[in-house]
Amino acid sequence: MGIIDRARVYSPWLYHLHCGGCNGCDIETLAALAPRFDAERFGIQLVASPRHADILVTTGCVPKQFIPMVKRVYEQVPEPKVVVAIGGCACGGSLFYEEEPENYAILGSPDLMIPVDVYVPGCAPKPEQIINGIVQGILKLAAKGSSRKRREV
Amino acid sequence: MSIPAKILKQVLSRYSSPMTLKYPSGVDPSKKYSQIPEGLRGVPERDAEKCVGCRACFMVCSGRATRIIDLGDKRTISIFLFRCTYCAHCQESCPEEALKMTSKFEFTIGEREDKGAYVDTDLEMLRCKSCNTAFLPKKMEKRVFERLQEKMNPLVKEVVLSDYKKLEGYCPECRRARSTNFDTHTKKWLWLEVK
Repeated sequence: MGIIDRARVYSPWLYHLHCGGCNGCDIETLAALAPRFDAERFGIQLVASPRHADILVTTGCVPKQFIPMVKRVYEQVPEPKVVVAIGGCACGGSLFYEEEPENYAILGSPDLMIPVDVYVPGCAPKPEQIINGIVQGILKLAAKGSSRKRREV
Repeated sequence: MSIPAKILKQVLSRYSSPMTLKYPSGVDPSKKYSQIPEGLRGVPERDAEKCVGCRACFMVCSGRATRIIDLGDKRTISIFLFRCTYCAHCQESCPEEALKMTSKFEFTIGEREDKGAYVDTDLEMLRCKSCNTAFLPKKMEKRVFERLQEKMNPLVKEVVLSDYKKLEGYCPECRRARSTNFDTHTKKWLWLEVK
């Protein structure tokens, strides 16, 4: 494990992607980053661009108009990356999920188009649960290992 | 707030402990810095012994998280936790009080097919005497009979029980098809008036 990979695990940067949804999970996610629940003690920092990020945090069900944006943001995150889905909507579609007939406007969960590594169900999840999910994500990030190895392959 | 009070607050904040909670903090609801406030609704839990498979939780589920899967002799009632909103409608509607919301909230799941994402209960089904299709959980049939006996008017008890023995073990469709052959006592309210 090189020095860059060690640094990545100890200070993962996080990009928050809000796709649809009611803002409940976003408020909880921001509460998890604020001083009271302080996710920054794990070295996590919220960044403004997906190109700087290691962890992609998605909240909300995905409207059909938003599908290309989600794919594009996912592709912009450099390898190795981890996707954490927060809230019932991002995990399984929740109230917006419909089997038959299919919802005309909303796709459902983002895991139908991008691979999700950690699910944090709840409506909305508590900040502690979100911290738990992000820590699980960091562990997966450590397991995914180096970006350099991937480039050789 | 007056200016001296503001200054006093600033000075006192130098000597107070930091605001950040420890992680994981305590799980005792009576403590001040607990993770679990009183009345928190978490993951639902089903008592497999009490559940009779009456589908009441399935009917009221707002997020379509509860599912009923009938496979021959087995009925599975499962809650998909990814879709659950912890609204506790299933807890309210359960006639046997088998469902309960626990205070467990801190869980994350790595995969969609993980067993932790489902709250499952399996029930044995009863088969019809004539057409051999599974139509009702055995437990539910037993429990319905018990409830019937509890709440029955004593005047019509004999008639109802004799009718029940004739109809026992037939699915609703078979009952309808053979309603004339059973020779049951219809219009039981007339019996009440006679007596």
